[in-house]
Amino acid sequence: MSGYFAYVVRRLAQFVLVVFIGINIAYVITHATPIDPVEQSISVVTSFGNTAPDAIEKMRTSLRELYGLGGSPVEQYLAFWKRILRADFGPSMSAFPTPVSTLIGRALPWTAGLLAVSTIVAWGLGSLLGGLAGYYQESRGLKLIGVIAIGVHPIPYYILALVLLIVFGFLWPVLPITGGAAMNLPQAPTFDFIVSVMQHAVLPALSLILIGVGSWFLGMRALVSHVVTEDYVVYAELAGVRPWRVLSSYVMRNALPPQLTGLAMSLGGIFNGAVITEKVFGYPGVGSLLVDAVYAGDYGLVLGVTTVSILGVSTGVLVIDLLYPLLDPRVKVT
Amino acid sequence: MTGILRDLWRYHAEFRIGAALIAVALLLSVLASFSPYPPQQVYVVPPDVPPSLTYWFGTTSRGQDVFWQLTFAMRNTLLFGCTVALISRLLALTIGLFSGYKGGWIDRSLMAVNDTFIVIPLLPILVLFFFVMRDRMSWLLLALIMASLGWAYDARLIRAVAMSLKAREFTQSSLFSGMSTREILVQEHLPYVMPIVFSTTLNNMVWSIGLEVTLAVLGFTDINTPTIGGMIYWANQHTAMVAGIWWWIAFPTIAVIMTFIGLFLLAVSMNDYIDPRSRLRSFGGAS
Amino acid sequence: MTQAETMPGELPDDAQPILSVRDLQAHFRTDRFGVKRDVKAVDGVSFAVRRGEIYGLAGESSSGKTTLVRTIAGAVKPPLDVVGGRVDFAFLPGYGGLRRAPAAEVARIRWRHLSYIMQGSMNVLNPVRRLRSAFVDFAYPHIGESRKQFEQDVVAHLARLKLDPSVLAAYPHELSGGMRQRATIALATICRPDVILADEPTTALDVVVQKEVLAMISGIRREIGSSVVLVSHDLGVHAQVTDRLGIMYAGRLIEEAATVEIFRNPLHPYTRHLISSLPRIGDDVPRKGLEGAPPNLADPPPGCRFHPRCPLAMEICRHKVPATLETAPGHRIACFAVNRSEAA
Repeated sequence: MSGYFAYVVRRLAQFVLVVFIGINIAYVITHATPIDPVEQSISVVTSFGNTAPDAIEKMRTSLRELYGLGGSPVEQYLAFWKRILRADFGPSMSAFPTPVSTLIGRALPWTAGLLAVSTIVAWGLGSLLGGLAGYYQESRGLKLIGVIAIGVHPIPYYILALVLLIVFGFLWPVLPITGGAAMNLPQAPTFDFIVSVMQHAVLPALSLILIGVGSWFLGMRALVSHVVTEDYVVYAELAGVRPWRVLSSYVMRNALPPQLTGLAMSLGGIFNGAVITEKVFGYPGVGSLLVDAVYAGDYGLVLGVTTVSILGVSTGVLVIDLLYPLLDPRVKVT
Repeated sequence: MTGILRDLWRYHAEFRIGAALIAVALLLSVLASFSPYPPQQVYVVPPDVPPSLTYWFGTTSRGQDVFWQLTFAMRNTLLFGCTVALISRLLALTIGLFSGYKGGWIDRSLMAVNDTFIVIPLLPILVLFFFVMRDRMSWLLLALIMASLGWAYDARLIRAVAMSLKAREFTQSSLFSGMSTREILVQEHLPYVMPIVFSTTLNNMVWSIGLEVTLAVLGFTDINTPTIGGMIYWANQHTAMVAGIWWWIAFPTIAVIMTFIGLFLLAVSMNDYIDPRSRLRSFGGAS
Repeated sequence: MTQAETMPGELPDDAQPILSVRDLQAHFRTDRFGVKRDVKAVDGVSFAVRRGEIYGLAGESSSGKTTLVRTIAGAVKPPLDVVGGRVDFAFLPGYGGLRRAPAAEVARIRWRHLSYIMQGSMNVLNPVRRLRSAFVDFAYPHIGESRKQFEQDVVAHLARLKLDPSVLAAYPHELSGGMRQRATIALATICRPDVILADEPTTALDVVVQKEVLAMISGIRREIGSSVVLVSHDLGVHAQVTDRLGIMYAGRLIEEAATVEIFRNPLHPYTRHLISSLPRIGDDVPRKGLEGAPPNLADPPPGCRFHPRCPLAMEICRHKVPATLETAPGHRIACFAVNRSEAA
């Protein structure tokens, strides 16, 4: 048990490091560039209409205070961290005076739900099919899936989402193509609302799943085709262990740990995909929030979403890391 | 090297298809030099003309010829991918070789940083970067920042090889013959990791071009330099899909998918060739 | 018993062999990037193993020993291919090898009648599961009894091999190399099989553990009466436990006799060289190395494969393959220099 404890401590330390470095990158980008983010925001906001000069002046002072742009660099840096730790990104400029944290809090469940479901489905299905394809290398059906996977998985999320949008929005309009739920329904756990949420999630989830299945399929197939040559698999086959048992407990079981590590390492990339997919389908998650915040010049919101996504993805990775020893008993000793 | 390419061509269907797709992409980008129109000028041809013999891929609502626009876009997109790949290769090689060779706390701390870069979601950071830079955002700047964020995964692969090289005898004998760390890494270890460097280059290009397309369609890059993503951005700005100008979006989409599949297939076939396990499997051996 | 017709008539013993191999040929065939190779790893090997004996196979690495036992065990996967010959087990009559028998028959006899200790047993156990699951997967289907009874049997078997029952709850990485090898042997013998194929079971173990493992193998033969085919490059191992010994060179069996006879009276020039190069106490004469290297099996020399290195090579050795003839009772040898009558 102490082995597992040491492992957990190591993973937690890594988690803190990831969040720390990630947020510092955000800080460096916003503070070390020659551009003043406050002036930048104001120029974007004012370009949309006539704002009175004294209102601009007020906005400028409040922004400077909010982001701690006054004082020495050290003071600025500490003020920045103080805000991050209190999850206080000030009021949103595009939805004034709603706090940024409220906007993010509202959007987060949508993204979390979409990402969790589509990632688990894609990873599970892709790993299962890929495992079968690596084991039954002569199967025609699985070979065909392999060819399709090679064709689908390198397509950028945006392009696939667009294709689905065209197919199900214009050519064969059977599914809602925008929003997270029907507008006329109250956001309450009623049957109609839940059905509507699920309907609206089909296309965004499908674009994430199609690409995901493709890459997990290829990854697992490659892993399994290595595992089947391992001595312990050959030995089990020679011992007359039943084929399905060899496939499940020997082959797949040993390919799963690296496949799970792969999942942890791609969470960031999957999140990137979700951002763009949400935007294409107008899904009310943090991805859409981020993109709209850039268009609206809402500095606080962009910074807030960036911070929250670094935190969210790192948490996802941490959860996977903590589950990993369940699959691989060897980590406890190393 | 040419021998390897010839073998791959002869016996690897994936390599043939991949090479053919990339050849088409390269041909397109070379044609950019022969374009009758300068890339950034608008209204040089009648707008919204469907594909025809005069305008092979049709024209855009901004009065640009889609075919010639695509040649520029392809050239810039490929060039972007190569630039990012090249710079991030240098980082990945330096850090991977050094970390794997040195080991100990240097390795541990470098890899902790390395894993951080693998985990962090890059899109929000790139978006933040664009948010701050706005109009000063340029093609080269984006390539630089992406290269400085996109080396981590490959550095880990290179480190793994470097660690196994360190355990080999020739490293010890180079060490005892008085070679410096830099000399050992550059003269002795570099040749062994080159195959991985090649195959990761292709994967890295898929990654960087994919992110560039994503940023560009959102308008979060220098939208005046034609790239594949930039073309789709402008098409969306003019609601091309709704207006029925499908060719404006279809051809860049086909081009980028083609490039991706081509790069991926090349990477796969090279991996297959490099991977000692798959070679061992098919050569077999008596014992 | 119908096996009488299928068994080779030239067998020196009247006891019914449990395993007989006739003219077995197994090649590694590859075609990669246009380079075709055909490595004749096992090229016409015949021998028989009696009930309850430990039959040794010796030879330097790449002499085809491992390929031979792999083929007998039915571990034939591309690029390895069985080109000709047959393998007959007393408990699986009439098919001429696992490869040709129906899958259900093969599943029935595997582990119950024929078990295999693979080379490099460091890696033969599933790294992510406890040892208990290996016993359940491998042996439980063959033993028609309750799980509780099975568990007791396993513990009793482990106790017989002086292994603590706690190993069942361990993962392979938690055991030392010697423990792992002993656990593997326990696993291979739990069903009291008729034939155990053991490929280099003592390699990579230190001398003390090696001795224990060899004692275990002889003990098992004594207690459950299994026949063992023991492959080792180490003649010292054979001297300790095997009853009869076959010497392989470049994919062929060149000499076979009772182990004592091989050590006392080696006839083939290659065997003689092997025996004379063994260290002896009190003997400080420098050992003579053999000229040249074992042949490339993708393109072996014609005739006797040993002739390029043989001190007794004659003209006939260069183009004719010597037959394996019995020179003395139970002593078979393939050499023109020894079987003068054949050469004439």
